[in-house]
Amino acid sequence: MLRKFSYVRASSIKEAVTAAARPGARILAGGTDLLVCLRNGILAAETVVSINGIKELKGIGPKPGGGFRIGALTTLTEIAENKQLPENYTALAQAAAAAASPQLRNQGTIGGNLCQRPRCWYFRGDFQCLRKSGDQCFAMSGENQNHAIFGWDRCAMVHPSDTAAALVAFDAKVTIAGPKGVRTIPLASFFVLPKESVLKENVLAPGEFITEVSLDAPRPGTRSVYRKVRERGAFDFALAGAAVVLTKSADTVQSARIVLSGVAPAPWRAAAAEQALAGKRLGDESIAAAAAAAVKDANPFGDNEFKVALVRGILEEVLSGMA
Amino acid sequence: MPDATPKPWGETTIVGKPIPRVDGDERLSGKATYSLDLYLPDMLYGATVRCPYPHANVKKVDLSEALRMPGVRAALSDADKEANIPWYGAPGGRSASRLFDTHCRFAGEEVAVIVAETQQQAWDAVRQVRVEYEQLKFTTDFEAALKSDAPPLHDGGNLAANPVNVTRGDVAKGFAEADLVLEETYRTPTQIHTPLETFGSVAKWDGDELTVWDTTQGVFPVQNSLANLLKMPLSKVRVIGHYMGGGFGAKLSLSKYTVMAALLARKTSRPVKLFLTREESFLCVGNRPAHAMTLKAGVKKDGTLTALEFTGVGEVGGYPGGSNAGYQVQDLWKCPNIHVVERSAMTPMGPARAFRAPGFPQGNWALEQMMDALAEKLGMDPIDLRLKNYSPMCQVEQKPYTSAGIPQLLTEGAKAFGWAEARARAKGKGPLLRGVGVASGMWGSPGRPPSTAIVRYYLDGSVNLNMGAADLGTGTKTVMAQVVSEELGVPLERIGIEWADTGTTQYTSASGGSKTVASDSPAVRAAALDVKRQLLALAAEQLKVPAESLTLKDTEISGPGGSPKVTTRELRTLQTQQVLVGVGIRGPNPTDKSVRPFSTHFAEVEVNTRTGEVRVVRMLAMHDSGRVMNAATFANQCLGGMTQGIGYATTERRVVDSNTGTMVNSNWYDYKIPTSKDIPPDLDVMPIDLHDHECDTTSTKGLGEPATIPVATAVANAFYNATGVRIKEGPITPAKVLMALAQRKG
Ligand SMILES: Cc1cc2nc3c(=O)[nH]c(=O)nc-3n(C[C@H](O)[C@H](O)[C@H](O)COP(=O)(O)OP(=O)(O)OC[C@H]3O[C@@H](n4cnc5c(N)ncnc54)[C@H](O)[C@@H]3O)c2cc1C
Ligand code: SF4
Repeated sequence: MLRKFSYVRASSIKEAVTAAARPGARILAGGTDLLVCLRNGILAAETVVSINGIKELKGIGPKPGGGFRIGALTTLTEIAENKQLPENYTALAQAAAAAASPQLRNQGTIGGNLCQRPRCWYFRGDFQCLRKSGDQCFAMSGENQNHAIFGWDRCAMVHPSDTAAALVAFDAKVTIAGPKGVRTIPLASFFVLPKESVLKENVLAPGEFITEVSLDAPRPGTRSVYRKVRERGAFDFALAGAAVVLTKSADTVQSARIVLSGVAPAPWRAAAAEQALAGKRLGDESIAAAAAAAVKDANPFGDNEFKVALVRGILEEVLSGMA
Repeated sequence: MPDATPKPWGETTIVGKPIPRVDGDERLSGKATYSLDLYLPDMLYGATVRCPYPHANVKKVDLSEALRMPGVRAALSDADKEANIPWYGAPGGRSASRLFDTHCRFAGEEVAVIVAETQQQAWDAVRQVRVEYEQLKFTTDFEAALKSDAPPLHDGGNLAANPVNVTRGDVAKGFAEADLVLEETYRTPTQIHTPLETFGSVAKWDGDELTVWDTTQGVFPVQNSLANLLKMPLSKVRVIGHYMGGGFGAKLSLSKYTVMAALLARKTSRPVKLFLTREESFLCVGNRPAHAMTLKAGVKKDGTLTALEFTGVGEVGGYPGGSNAGYQVQDLWKCPNIHVVERSAMTPMGPARAFRAPGFPQGNWALEQMMDALAEKLGMDPIDLRLKNYSPMCQVEQKPYTSAGIPQLLTEGAKAFGWAEARARAKGKGPLLRGVGVASGMWGSPGRPPSTAIVRYYLDGSVNLNMGAADLGTGTKTVMAQVVSEELGVPLERIGIEWADTGTTQYTSASGGSKTVASDSPAVRAAALDVKRQLLALAAEQLKVPAESLTLKDTEISGPGGSPKVTTRELRTLQTQQVLVGVGIRGPNPTDKSVRPFSTHFAEVEVNTRTGEVRVVRMLAMHDSGRVMNAATFANQCLGGMTQGIGYATTERRVVDSNTGTMVNSNWYDYKIPTSKDIPPDLDVMPIDLHDHECDTTSTKGLGEPATIPVATAVANAFYNATGVRIKEGPITPAKVLMALAQRKG
């Protein structure tokens, strides 16, 4: 069922970059998404470049000068169960733990999780949609209950990653290796919305791949929560989710970061909700205002209308729990 | 002749005990060879070319490129004479289609099949088949499909069967007598079977004899149909269905893949294995049809039902067949005036197949939510309303039941569940609301003949049980071995079992309709008793005492107080013959009474009104299924039934893109069966045994289907109890909950 491809197991970043720069090359980490895409003919590969032999891509550790680095090959289980990350990063562990199923978390890596392809059922099915270089989006007048209410344009898939929302809420950065060297950018600017391109979900150029994700040292007084709502208790993507990172002094919110999952083609920052909280006492009034602000610009287009109420509900629940 | 009507069991020694599965180790350790695990020398692998469109004419099938692919050995399409095999029955004994009919009526329909040296080569070759299609008009809306302007799938339109029209009494009169009349429309989704083992067969020819290993619930129906279609005598077709990984009704009869494997095996003179992928198994091997049901109910102030009027439409997919949901409306509650009208609509989707109580969870969803609504409007407890309308008589057959434990299920269940307390408790404050619900159900047919079983008794005191029944993972082998052990006193370890093989075991119908235990255990018991009778007769002859004075316990036969005594090994005739063969035949059911199993389920749910999440907190399954043959397998059936019902209530449904007419969630992450996180640990099972000695000689009624019939409705009623909002169209997903709650807020 798999079409023929050549296979390279790189032992260094340099070797991987060289191989990955070949036309039609695909990076292989845990393979939980890539292999399925290849088997189902969603992606083609001339060369599959395994990065699993590159030791420096593994594990979580402190960064010189504070903060943490998470190697691209770190599994979701390692992140979910990690004891090194301070409690302030709870939302990240929660997001990793809420993804997929135990087997998939044992095998799936953070790099792969951030770069996984969309789960839109048309994209994954036998539909030649825009994102597969076709000429239409089947979701627009089709079965769109799982689709985006924010940031969609031509394509309304939702980014499937849970960890992405949490990491963006922590202002994480990604380090990218490629033919032109190494660059580090905020994760928030890693993702690409359909208005820029409907063919890719991130800024990676051919030959580029993520080597690590880094987090700054947490500010004191920071608490975080990731809450995911799905139809089924496990093995299910988010209908909607929210990563909320709050820094409070006494009752007052100093700063808030709210990033939504399951509702947009990229992790979706609810900036208006953050503003509605900043400088306020966290109570019924500010919570209601923030939840309402989060969906002010929502743009449902069919059976996904419930997500507006859902985002509000999630934020009300999470923020009330943090008050 | 074997004794067809032995005395009912009193206290039993091994029947009823929670004995672990006799084949549990093989099944759990992976040692058991399922049909899917079978690898024969020189075996070829098949893969199927499927129509990607819901409704199309096949103009041309070009297999030339595929046949040149590496490893490819043969192919079949409609152009091959031997593939001209009628398929899908139609009214009047006609057939509606052929094995590879060029008029395709659902996306996923078979167009051609290819065999190759490896499975991968076969799959690769399928992609090289060029098919020209002419796409035809369609609608995926099954209610619209019955309108006169809907594009017809078949000559004569989309009506799949003669409408059902049942009248009892006079509903107009009944509604006129009512103090309260309610009318609601309820809808249920299409549910897919998703057994763990997918669908497929291995076929092999030896001369003119065909052997098929099939993952099936009934080797004999498969043998019959195969012999019939291939024009072969039954004696030359052997179907083996040993270990199998679930069917839920989708594997009751012959499937196309079996015929394709047999034809290709003949064509290539090699064994052929043809198994569907998981994705294919969502498309073409059955489902529980979706239903739209309008129910009007009339009731007096005191709760007496006066009339029930039910109009239902079921979606059967691309080919003729019935899908009726109204049985319980006619029979579950006492009601003198009934009118049931049912139609089945064809849509260009995968054809429906029997699915664990065909039609019953659907009808239950309507009837038992209506009972809940009536109770509320009358200010009655839903338990009391049901007790008020209990019927000790089968109204469909107009005969009394041999037993009907509905009152016990309701009252004892209410006690065990803490029903009154739970209803009196506050729903909760803030966003988390709790509620409880109850629903009763019944299944519409009993165990019955035919079933023949054989028990062989060997000189060494070991016993062989030979029966045609399948063990779908339900524990059939274990239960039947317990029956043999009960009668002969032989320990389970010394009982060998041959089962589900038309070449070596005896005829029984397919394992479906909750009837395996009630159909086959009386035959097995009769066979064991036949052996026992022979042993005692031989001993009596040898000891020169009357047989009636002797008792058998394992290998010892003795008179009153232990003497005289002889072991079976010492029986001279057995020493000569080496084996005694006992035959048991299932006797008829009572003619003056009706046999039906009943269930009542209680559920408690928690609803998060902010997020629309619904969590089943606990359930209690009350069952009147007659005697409990094995407490562990009994509980297993109930837990499985509740699990499947919770999926039906909350997550499971086929999602079809109406523009393209194709299913978009044909995989296990988008089609959501429950996980361990969705099933509460607090699932209780309580059997009520009314010692029904009239239903059959093991006092058993059915369980498998009653275990799932009322589950979803109990959950729906609990949801209503929690929120005051009724979701009439399943499943109850967060999306629906949020939209419904928003409407309530206004
Ligand atoms: C059934 C199922 C349910 C799931 N549910 C969830 C869920 O609820 N939430 C959720 O967040 N995720 C979910 N996932 C996704 C899962 O978490 C990802 O498949 C996994 O994290 C991917 O990691 P991997 O190492 O296996 O990636 P791979 O399969 O190896 O790669 C995935 C993609 O990323 C690319 N890639 C991998 N590593 C890198 C890198 N370092 N740099 C650049 N590109 C790279 C690959 O080329 C490929 O395109 C689910 C997956 C499945 C199959
Ligand atoms: S939402 Fe995007 S991925 Fe889905 S069908 Fe439309 S274009 Fe394709």
